Amino acid sequence: MSGLPLRFAVQFSQYAVFLYFLAVNSVYTMLIVLALRDIVKHAYLSTARTARRQLGGEFYYKPVSVIVPAHNEAAVIAQSVRALLNLHYPEFEVIVVNDGSDDGTLAALREEFSLKSSIKPVRLQVPHEDIQAVYRSAEYPDLIVVDKLNGGKADAINAGINVSSYPVFCSIDADSLLEPDALLKSSKLFLEDDSLIATGGIIRILNGCKVEGGAVTEIALPPGTLEAMQVLEYTRAFLSGRTGWNALNSLLIISGAFGVFRKDMVIAVGGYRRTVGEDMDLVMRLHRHCHEKGIPYRILFVPDPVCWTQAPFKLKMLLRQRNRWHRGMIDALLFNRAMILNPKYGGTSLAGVSYFVFVELFGPLIELFGYLAIPVLCFFGMLSVRSFVLLLLLAVLWGISINIGAVFLDIYNFRRYKRNSDILRLCFLGGLEFFGYRQLMLLERLKATLTFRKRDWGQQDRRAMGLF
Amino acid sequence: MPDLLTQSPDFYRYVSCGVLFLAALNTAEVFFLFYNKRKAGLSEKRRTELKRLASTAMITATAPEELLPKPSTDDDFSAYSEAIASVLDSFEGEIAAKAGRLVGQLGIAAYYRRLARHRTWYKRAAAIDILSSFRLPSNREFLRSALRRETSNEVKYRVIYGLSSLARDRTDILEMVAALSSLPYLTAKYTEDIFYNAIRALKDKDAAGEFGAFMREVMKDGSVPVLVKRDMLTACYDASCGEGRGILHDYYLNSPEEPEILIAALKALARIGDFSFIPAALKHPDWRVRMTALKNSDACCADLLPETRAMLRDSNYHVRLAAAMALRRSGIKGTAVLKEETASPDRFAAETAAYALTQEGR
Repeated sequence: MSGLPLRFAVQFSQYAVFLYFLAVNSVYTMLIVLALRDIVKHAYLSTARTARRQLGGEFYYKPVSVIVPAHNEAAVIAQSVRALLNLHYPEFEVIVVNDGSDDGTLAALREEFSLKSSIKPVRLQVPHEDIQAVYRSAEYPDLIVVDKLNGGKADAINAGINVSSYPVFCSIDADSLLEPDALLKSSKLFLEDDSLIATGGIIRILNGCKVEGGAVTEIALPPGTLEAMQVLEYTRAFLSGRTGWNALNSLLIISGAFGVFRKDMVIAVGGYRRTVGEDMDLVMRLHRHCHEKGIPYRILFVPDPVCWTQAPFKLKMLLRQRNRWHRGMIDALLFNRAMILNPKYGGTSLAGVSYFVFVELFGPLIELFGYLAIPVLCFFGMLSVRSFVLLLLLAVLWGISINIGAVFLDIYNFRRYKRNSDILRLCFLGGLEFFGYRQLMLLERLKATLTFRKRDWGQQDRRAMGLF
Repeated sequence: MPDLLTQSPDFYRYVSCGVLFLAALNTAEVFFLFYNKRKAGLSEKRRTELKRLASTAMITATAPEELLPKPSTDDDFSAYSEAIASVLDSFEGEIAAKAGRLVGQLGIAAYYRRLARHRTWYKRAAAIDILSSFRLPSNREFLRSALRRETSNEVKYRVIYGLSSLARDRTDILEMVAALSSLPYLTAKYTEDIFYNAIRALKDKDAAGEFGAFMREVMKDGSVPVLVKRDMLTACYDASCGEGRGILHDYYLNSPEEPEILIAALKALARIGDFSFIPAALKHPDWRVRMTALKNSDACCADLLPETRAMLRDSNYHVRLAAAMALRRSGIKGTAVLKEETASPDRFAAETAAYALTQEGR
């Protein structure tokens, strides 16, 4: 009698886990197909856009405020800001928000850009910690530095929003570099579609690349496996993941490292919320707001504006970052739980939010269950070595196929990595990921699930740009 | 009860098939990846070479069509069209005429006209944009017929854009505006560009007066959306169309309830040195109109200092700031007012005045 329920439980869980495995991998595969279609379409329309620009007048732009939240970024801030001031864009301002740094970030800015006190009254439209001073550069009138009490990244961007003058703002991490035409490519979309409220470009890994004068001059995979693995992850996440969700109008994340937003809409949802996953949270609230108010809107990922960012180069840093991302995602999902399986929010809820709940949130738990089940099934003679190897091969080969698919999307359209050895290495990493790296990330995500209420960001080590 | 999944022979048969399929797929993917990379590299090289060759031939040769190989692939056509559009953009006279002739001689227009009938909307859109970038009058009829048969709004917007650079008279603009009014409003910049291109095209033909006639014709036409009219006035402002202040006065006087039109008219009038509506606009209930008036008040009306000063206490943040800046630009008297206001019990007026004093005056 006691064997029957056990057998039933095993049987049920086998079917459930296997179906889950099939569903998740099918979703990833579908996303790659959708992404390919979207990228081809985008390539056509980009050509069209270039042709139209030749046709258009010189007034074809909207002014943009670039907001750079900075907390203890003394090592990189001057180079980042200098690179931003060199952007190819007719009218923009750079607002660096020093978020209570204690490492000399403000002093570095003062020294480099001859800052002078400005007393322009700030309109409080979204909440943030007190601003202590606002400075303007004597050399670059479009550079504003806001010195405020520490309140976190979301709080710093909110301060930047209040200080900003333009209707569109771009938030960018202090350790990131925008390609000179990235702002032009992303903000142009706001001119072509009034319903566009937010857009983000692709984030690429700076490690391994040569940086000169604040610009990436040579692109290569980083020599370290840990960093190179992140190149693969970012390629997959952005080119197949986000582009795929784009095609389904269900994009829930615009990376905090580089996003462009319509200011009035962000103000309408109360600005950024103070959480560790402020980027996803904001996009979810924008979706909610527009659905609830019946506002026609679009949130788009565009694959060609590029933002280069430093990836963690030590395992400890990487785990800390992934832990924070996972906690951020859980918090955003909890805060916006009204969107879970709620037809009121249309496809965004049923496709995008469901994916995050059932794949990203529950995925680690189910994957862990799968790993634990293997020895148990073997012990009870329910899984032979041959079967185990076959299932393992299926999972790994499917995963590799998805990874190579993502690399293909990149090489097919953007051809950033020119060396054959780099491409071959990315394909190889696509397989290697399943032996150790994935399990490490899984454990960290599980840890994050258990501690999701923690709010700390943790300190990130930075390398000065050009030292990759 | 079905078998345990892991003990079912069928299951393993399927899994084995899946494994073999994926192994083959992965191998094929890697090979295709490198094949495609090589192909893309070669095609990029050819495009660059063709573009350079075409540009040089158009600028230096008397009969460039004899020097250039006939295009046969998508890349060839794309390279030639980019080179031609760029030459047309940068040159006039004989060189531009040669570039224009090449479009027909090399079959580029025919190729993109074919592509403009493709079943996929974005391919049609790209083809229309490329055809439009040549700004050739010979494409006008094709674009008009494309507009009539087109089903996708996305493409229609592009066709109208293309037509805007080929406008010959007010009938053409009216046709364009009718098409535009039948579509959902896209963006201000888009509509402005349409009119801007049309004004430029008419100016090139010494027919700028046609735009004025068109503006009069649509002024009271209820079927043309207010936003389209506003963008028309803004384009007129951007392109310095110089179309009589009389029309702009009429637009201002005929649209008291339309802040969008009032703002555009105020700006266009200010550009041609007409500030006659500024005093009235300072009292308008819409803050955007008041702010626009303030931005121009210092240029005309020194006697408006008391009104401007009162607006330091306006209910709107932007208006208060604009009032302070207007005073700052108003010379010694304005600066004196600001200095007095720094001691104002109204904290915001005091801070705004203090800020304005740190800014550059005129």
